[in-house]
Amino acid sequence: MSFLRRKFYSYYLNPHIEFPQRFDRREYAFILFNEDTMHRHLSFSSRNDILSYLKMNIPAHAYYSSAYYRHPSAEKMMDKEWMGADLIFDLDADHLPNAGNLSYEESLKEVKEELKKLLSFLTEDFGFGERDIKLYFSGGRGYHCHVCNEKVLELGSQERREIVDYITARGLDMKKVIGEKNLPAEKFSGKFSIKTIKINPMQGGWQGRIARAIIDFFKRIKNMRREDAIKELVKIEGIGEKTAMAIYDALTDERMRRIEVGLLDQSTEFRKIAKPLVRRLAVSLHSEADEPVTADIKRLIRLPGSLHGKTGLRVTGIDRRRIDDFDPLTDAVVFGENPVKVNVLKKMEITMMENHFKIEKGEARLPEYLAVFLVARGFAEVRPP
Amino acid sequence: MKEAKEWVKEQKVSVEEILFDDLYERARERGVERVRQAVDEGIVREVATVSEADCIMEIFSYPVARMIVASVESEYLVRRYALAEAKKAYESMKGEESGFIDYLAREMGVEVNGNEIYFTDYLKYAPTWDINWKLVNREMRKGYVLLSKSEVARLIQEAIRKKIYNELAFAFAPPEVKKVFKDEILSIKNKVIFKEEKRKVGEVKEEGFPPCIKNLIAAVKSGINVPHVGRFTLVTFLNAVGMDIEEILKIFASSPDFNAEKTRYQIEHITGRISGTVYATPKCDTIRTWGLCYPDEYCRNIRHPLFYYRRRARK
Repeated sequence: MSFLRRKFYSYYLNPHIEFPQRFDRREYAFILFNEDTMHRHLSFSSRNDILSYLKMNIPAHAYYSSAYYRHPSAEKMMDKEWMGADLIFDLDADHLPNAGNLSYEESLKEVKEELKKLLSFLTEDFGFGERDIKLYFSGGRGYHCHVCNEKVLELGSQERREIVDYITARGLDMKKVIGEKNLPAEKFSGKFSIKTIKINPMQGGWQGRIARAIIDFFKRIKNMRREDAIKELVKIEGIGEKTAMAIYDALTDERMRRIEVGLLDQSTEFRKIAKPLVRRLAVSLHSEADEPVTADIKRLIRLPGSLHGKTGLRVTGIDRRRIDDFDPLTDAVVFGENPVKVNVLKKMEITMMENHFKIEKGEARLPEYLAVFLVARGFAEVRPP
Repeated sequence: MKEAKEWVKEQKVSVEEILFDDLYERARERGVERVRQAVDEGIVREVATVSEADCIMEIFSYPVARMIVASVESEYLVRRYALAEAKKAYESMKGEESGFIDYLAREMGVEVNGNEIYFTDYLKYAPTWDINWKLVNREMRKGYVLLSKSEVARLIQEAIRKKIYNELAFAFAPPEVKKVFKDEILSIKNKVIFKEEKRKVGEVKEEGFPPCIKNLIAAVKSGINVPHVGRFTLVTFLNAVGMDIEEILKIFASSPDFNAEKTRYQIEHITGRISGTVYATPKCDTIRTWGLCYPDEYCRNIRHPLFYYRRRARK
């Protein structure tokens, strides 16, 4: 038995599995060590059966279906008889625009920011309660968010795609979001009307989100030193130094007061600012094929409490109020500190279990948790004893 | 509706009585009229009900109409009738207090709270392929989407249409119905066949389609999930070049989440059969921003996919 498989076995002797709701209506799938194929169309009628499967087969990856089926073990999708599905959001570092340049730890931090954005959409806009939403570290390079709510169960993929489009701002109509209006001329400005954009921070939905973001943005700019503010403004696409200076210099106290109640003048500049703000507010959630996985009503997701074969980390639930404190490289670690002799293939630095490691190539004695992580990721080997 | 159903049950009137008793002559006539109006005008007109007897006949005419529709055995008629009844309900909602709309909504199992509707119900019934109806462009708070009164009525219209359609799609009428309404059923059947025929038009030269459209067709046919805007582009284009709904539907049939009834409804909406608005095919600029443009040599100086087709199909 290989080192990794042996370690997984020791975990699966007494694992902390979190069984999905209505676990007997789900399809299960596993990938075993040294195999490429997936063992699919399995179903279990008791929790103990799942536990014994894990103990007997020691899978490298364990999944269950987000869908409920009448016959979860039927081979053909048609025969399974779909009964509904949880709403699943898969936030993966691979979906980030700058994924390639980040270390494992950095990319997980970035994904966490996306997770927080997602959570704010789900609770504020969609109104899901604490009991509906479950958050998990995926064991790999991301986070999963499961929404289990009676009302969303039966939604089809087209409807789910609308939800994805909402939180990713796809199809957002900017004209509608920042309505432009010609206001009647004010007394002192003579007979000309002023083009004004009226935004309402108190509104719900995207309108309100963008309004609040625009107001916060100008407040921040106003409080900056002139050169810093201009630096910040030119970062925005379509704004040159001249426009940036003009915007900053025009931010008088009087204008700030107007902005804070949602009256924006000088429409074009503000429009330029609104667009990039939308990108910052929206969740990055698209997979490589640009097809949102959430809309898939038959997908497989990792079983909470199982181990991820490419990291040795556990798919771990996260307390919503403690997202910031969650550290995957501590909180999802299941193995101990016994030293293990490994052959390191790649020089690297990593912080795990709050210990910082500087690892050189070649032979080393490392704590078991780190050895498992490196071997699973292919950065080290263990010779058979 | 549910209340009317209960009321009809309580009256303990048998199907035989409705079909044969002189007392219900007026209900039978009105029942036929409902179906005729649905076929001819696409909407069931409201009638003035002066007396209680008028009301009773109006109520009984509804099951009569449904039995006739079921006896004609035409999917097209079921669709047209369901829509016509739903439009009638919409018209009656327009003049009413919001209390009546709330009542209808509850009947349909739609969660309405004044002018707010729960988002899952919104998604079930809103034409979200229209940019104005897309959820992202809606004001939503704590799961409730804020709408105008007429928008709420529009969604309930769709809920009613769906319900009637689902009830009638697989319904069988008692055999006596065919005897009692023999002539009426025959004449309605003929009209329906004629209407369906009329919609089939000239030949479409697929080889003249621009690459974006060809790509979309290939994607849809091979079962790749195509985004909304892609489906929208495809339908508006195929409609503009004269394909009929059946043909368009056939193209979509291999889509992974194909739902014949829903897809048909979307096509009918986009092509103006339901909404009255024929949506225009988006221009090249728009298709490009959606990431659906794969230009070939003939796309130079072309700004609209239909120009491409007109130029190429002529050859």
